[in-house]
Amino acid sequence: MTTLPMGNAALDRELEPHERYVPGHHWRNAQDEMEAAKLGMWLFLATEILLFAGFFCAYTVFRYWYPDNWHAASRHYLNWKIGAANTVVLLLSSFTIVLAIRGAQTNRKGMMLVNLFITELCAAFFLIVKLGWEYAPKWQKGELPGANFTYGGHTVEAGEAAAHGGLIDSIFHVDHGSYVTNAYDHIFLSIYWISTATHGFHVLVGMIVIGWAMWLASRGHYGPRHYTSLENVGLYWHIVDIIWIFLFPLLYLV
Amino acid sequence: MSGHHDVSYLAPKDTFWKSVWAWVYTLDHKRIGVMYLAATLLAFFLGGVFAIVLRTELWEPTRTVITDAGQTQTTGQVLFGWKENGQQVTANNAYNRAFTLHGTIMVFLFIIPAVPAALGNIFLPIMLGAKDVAFPRVNLFSWYIYVFGSIFAIWSIIHGGVETGWTFYTPYSSSTNWGGVTSMVLGAFILGFSSIFTGINFIATVHKLRVPGMGWFDMPLFVWAVYATAIMQVLATPVLGITLAMLVFERTLHIGIFDPALGGDPVLFQHFFWFYSHPAVYIMIVPGMGIISELIAVNCRKRIFGYRAIAFSSIAIAAISFLVWAHHMLTSQTAALNAIFSALTFLVAIPTAIKVFNWVATMYKASISLNTGMLYAMAFLFCFTIGGLTGPPLATLATDIHLHDTYFVVAHFHYVMMGGTVLAFLGGLHHWWPKFTGRMYNENLARLGCILVFIGFNLTFFIQFFLGTQGMPRRYATYVDEFEWMHKISTTGSYVLASGLLLHLMVFIQSLMGGAQAPKNPWGGLTFEWETDSPPIEHNFPHEPVITHGPYDYDTEYPPHCDPRDYPLPDQAKVAALAHH
Amino acid sequence: MPTPGAHHGPASMPLTLALDWWDKLWFNGHVDSSTFSASSDGVFFYIFWTSTAFFVLLMALMFWWAWKYRRIPGVAPEASVSHNTILELTWSIIPTILFAIMFIWGLVAYLPMKIAPADSEVISVTAKKWAWSIVYDNGASPLQTEKLADMDGPVFALPVDRPTKFIMSSQDVIHSMYLPAFRAKRDVFPNFYTGQWVQPTKISHRWNETEKVWEPVNPLDKGYYLTCAEYCGDQHSQMMGRIMVLAEPDYQLWKSQQADTGGIPLTELGEKLHKSKGCVACHSVDGSSGTGPSWKGIWGQSRKFKDGGSAVADENYIRESMLEPGKHIVDGYSNQMPTFQGQVTDREILAVATYIKTLSDNEADKEAAKAAAAEELKQKTEAKP
Ligand code: HEA
Ligand code: HEA
Ligand code: HEC
Ligand code: CUA
Ligand SMILES: [Cu+2]
Repeated sequence: MTTLPMGNAALDRELEPHERYVPGHHWRNAQDEMEAAKLGMWLFLATEILLFAGFFCAYTVFRYWYPDNWHAASRHYLNWKIGAANTVVLLLSSFTIVLAIRGAQTNRKGMMLVNLFITELCAAFFLIVKLGWEYAPKWQKGELPGANFTYGGHTVEAGEAAAHGGLIDSIFHVDHGSYVTNAYDHIFLSIYWISTATHGFHVLVGMIVIGWAMWLASRGHYGPRHYTSLENVGLYWHIVDIIWIFLFPLLYLV
Repeated sequence: MSGHHDVSYLAPKDTFWKSVWAWVYTLDHKRIGVMYLAATLLAFFLGGVFAIVLRTELWEPTRTVITDAGQTQTTGQVLFGWKENGQQVTANNAYNRAFTLHGTIMVFLFIIPAVPAALGNIFLPIMLGAKDVAFPRVNLFSWYIYVFGSIFAIWSIIHGGVETGWTFYTPYSSSTNWGGVTSMVLGAFILGFSSIFTGINFIATVHKLRVPGMGWFDMPLFVWAVYATAIMQVLATPVLGITLAMLVFERTLHIGIFDPALGGDPVLFQHFFWFYSHPAVYIMIVPGMGIISELIAVNCRKRIFGYRAIAFSSIAIAAISFLVWAHHMLTSQTAALNAIFSALTFLVAIPTAIKVFNWVATMYKASISLNTGMLYAMAFLFCFTIGGLTGPPLATLATDIHLHDTYFVVAHFHYVMMGGTVLAFLGGLHHWWPKFTGRMYNENLARLGCILVFIGFNLTFFIQFFLGTQGMPRRYATYVDEFEWMHKISTTGSYVLASGLLLHLMVFIQSLMGGAQAPKNPWGGLTFEWETDSPPIEHNFPHEPVITHGPYDYDTEYPPHCDPRDYPLPDQAKVAALAHH
Repeated sequence: MPTPGAHHGPASMPLTLALDWWDKLWFNGHVDSSTFSASSDGVFFYIFWTSTAFFVLLMALMFWWAWKYRRIPGVAPEASVSHNTILELTWSIIPTILFAIMFIWGLVAYLPMKIAPADSEVISVTAKKWAWSIVYDNGASPLQTEKLADMDGPVFALPVDRPTKFIMSSQDVIHSMYLPAFRAKRDVFPNFYTGQWVQPTKISHRWNETEKVWEPVNPLDKGYYLTCAEYCGDQHSQMMGRIMVLAEPDYQLWKSQQADTGGIPLTELGEKLHKSKGCVACHSVDGSSGTGPSWKGIWGQSRKFKDGGSAVADENYIRESMLEPGKHIVDGYSNQMPTFQGQVTDREILAVATYIKTLSDNEADKEAAKAAAAEELKQKTEAKP
């Protein structure tokens, strides 16, 4: 069944898995199979973007209503330098994963593995920075989403907003030294937490699938004739990256 | 290589456990489809039981079936679980849980997966001449996700139930401390993934697995419909996913995005919810419409009228359906938004209208066989048209203000969902039953079932239009006396309806136990599924089929395996004359 | 005399009977009962008759053809076309035009519903689980109640031929104020005010001076409903009220009657408030527990709280329960009760407390409550010159 070009004397070694690759039984040829897999991946990525679009909508609505609050909260709670560092790292990783695919296309296993490894390192760096320098201090200071927000001893209680004359126009402003909490800080932080945590989860999943791709690569499953799943992992990783490119300015730089 | 592949896909393996394993870990789209069918029919039954409970409760204006302790006397605690979190079980609560569970089960567990994931899975690849769907593993995975999500949903029933309505509006849903809400919402969230994966799979299958030579306009209309549905599933479901996820966070972490007590915005939730759930109603109906196209073409033995118009209208519905969501919120938003969404809603009605006209036109000068499938197609045309025609009064601004959240809406959506999709589903089930089970069923009893369902259905829901215009709000456990006679009619109808469905169930069981062996092509269809065995072999066809004609070329083709005496060719001279036009 | 339901002329004529039946079937007889009814029903019947025409046409063809072209073995079908551009265009364009008319007509009829006339009388409405509280510009809120769909709802009045505007807000979840007879509906939200206005056009009740009661103009017609159209939990279906539409002098009379609660003894007032303020939705007076604890026998008892504390149920405790219900949660219940801050006067709070005292299991308390109520009324009347 293998359709490697025959009549080649160099073939006295055992074929690598990617050279022996046969498409699934229901496919007419490998080309169709590969295109279908990519189409499927693109569709899946479309759903991912739509998923995050939900956060962006929520973000936009509240920002539209409380632009000043949003601005102040972004300045006060988020450090754009950390965000920028993470952005650079992710961009780098997007580049290295392209190199890894290039490695597969040109049948250079070493290039593939090294670049996948750098990608993993970047992802790990991203998560460590996120957890260690952003989440952990926020957790300690009480800069938590919604009703868990206890910044400087100030708690948001359910009903607090409504209690002020039934309307939320007149909401608490509490002075904490240099920073005055605004009425909707806790919602800004909610959106921050759930969108970055969802993104972080995607990074984690990315690390797992990249690890899986590394394992397959080391076993010789990728080569010029067949590297579909590696390419799909790459596509996925780009989307994770692009979503961050949107999250970063919206949250850190407004 | 092949050999053992030439047996029926249903054939058991050597040992019992191997057979079980062959189902549990099957990659065959037909088996997965059958598993979906079993699961969704179970869900339909469960949802139907809740429907009967709530209809029975509405027999009288005040509480009757449901006791003061909030349990139902007929079904007891089993259906409704025990009280939760020390929450007082109050009087109307059992009713509220009944309609919520009825709605959520019917929508998320039954009607959304029923046609595409069950019938679509079995027949889409065969109709394309393919051996399987593009990603068989993903297909099986979707089924397991479906089961996993359903377990969450069922868990919430056992765990006290849900009483928010299937729309989960905040802040009610984020503040009620009734037991099962979080679990039900998580269940719906998980079910969404199943739907997304099925959709992706079908799109890739249609793009990449048509037999060579089959162009887009050689595809059967059922395939077009499932394809349009898949697009909507892929594009709409993620938004539901994120909405429900945020609702879960709202309940567990109190993030305050939807909860006004924390400064959030409940109307935002409604936007999010309907951005999915409006396309969802077309996710429910479009595959049903695909079935109707098949039923009518095959049983009329006629080329379907306006093939392209029907195909394109499916895509048009899919596209426009994303622009109309806020017509569910005409009493909760500003006049300007209302005007925009009202106008857009009428747009989506036009492609539907086109389809209805085309179906009826196909019957002109046809050769109509009134078997169960065709009876269901006609019942569909009757009921769905009523359901569709009651859409415009809801889309019209002045009238929706009056009709919103009344029984008029309840009647509207049962006429399109039960009278549309479910009737189409039942018709398709009878149409394809011989193919995927290999057994014939008792035609006359099935016809009787269809007539009972038709009468019962109209008896149940027609009167509800008047209940609605008279001002009876929906989700009411008790009501004022003047509505009593109408509710009595409705409840009576629901019993007739249930008896019709039970009759169908019995006919099917009888068919499985002792039905005659089905021929390859009992109704004389021209699409690929009628060329394979009944039931089909493991990889659908012994050889890749060759496409020689369009799916509905009855004027020029014998359906394969059909007796020519039963199927007279049209006058060749006339056909030739026509070809010159 | 314009009575709701019978407006087509002498009831004996068959045509009149048929028309009345028709109105009853569609709108429970409430046609032309507000300025919106006429405009909204106009569009409605336009849609209805257009749809009926299409439906009858389609079904006639379907059944006729199903019979005419039924399959007879051995008989070949006639050849026919499967595509006809002109026909297909026709049946796309005609509905499009008809839809466009629906939209425009609907919009034209709808816009006035959104713009309240400047001279509207403003009534403030607060929705909460599961009662409407309605306060008029003179501070009156309705005391009379009527049993509707298994619960007591307020009976309140609107003036005829004059616009009234409701300014509405909710204390907990979303509700929706629905006046079916007037074709009016608007959701009521916890975080912002919404408004809606109506102008009823038919008098439903009048004051009977001899019997001292409000009686329906047409004995068969008890007036109009107010219902809650957005699902709001357990007793959503009982969140109802009844509206009387009154002639102008009657309306003023009614308002002053409702505002003047001074002459009602506290015990009686408390009993009325229990129903009209909606406490009855959660609190029974017969010992059966609902969303909230029954009021029977709680007076003077030590009430146990969820957090372990307790307090004796006296006037102060009841005041606190009404104004700050979240402060102490009675054991076995959850924090469901809305606050009545700003919606009750001191005398009304006292009235509730006195009424609860009459529900005590202790005979002495009952007597004391009655005596206190009589004493209070006496002082009041003496204080007045
Ligand atoms: C299968 C599902 C399905 C389908 C197909 C439809 C189809 C339509 N629906 Fe429906 N709808 C629901 C399921 C569906 N709906 C559900 C579940 C709800 C309630 C959800 C909830 O609140 O719980 C709902 C609620 C709903 C509302 C909100 C009501 C409210 O809560 O206030 C509106 C408002 O615009 C609406 C409009 C329409 C329209 C215009 C169509 C159109 O697509 C119909 C088009 C079809 C025709 C018009 C008939 C055929 C045409 C002709 C024969 C041509 C000639 C006709 C004329 C010229 C009039 N629907
Ligand atoms: C697919 C969707 C679907 C279907 C099919 C149905 C079917 C039915 N519905 Fe459903 N209904 C909804 C979706 C659906 N409903 C939704 C979304 C709501 C809104 C919920 C909310 O407000 O939140 C609703 C609400 C709703 C209400 C309004 C409740 C209220 O607002 O207070 C009522 C009242 O009459 C009702 C009645 C019925 C009845 C009698 C049926 C009958 O048609 C049921 C008949 C079925 C059976 C009796 C089961 C028998 C089955 C078998 C025997 C197995 C068959 C097996 C084979 C054929 C093989 N439904
Ligand atoms: C939505 C339901 C609801 C409504 C309406 C409501 N209550 Fe309550 N009420 C409760 C609940 C629940 C409790 C117990 C929890 C608590 O203490 O807050 C309670 C407790 C009380 C108590 C303390 C009772 C005890 O057993 O110690 C009093 C007094 C009271 N309510 C008075 C009122 C009055 C007066 C009104 C109307 C003007 C009213 N309530 C309306 C739900 C309600
Ligand atoms: Cu208040 Cu429903
Ligand atoms: Cu819709």
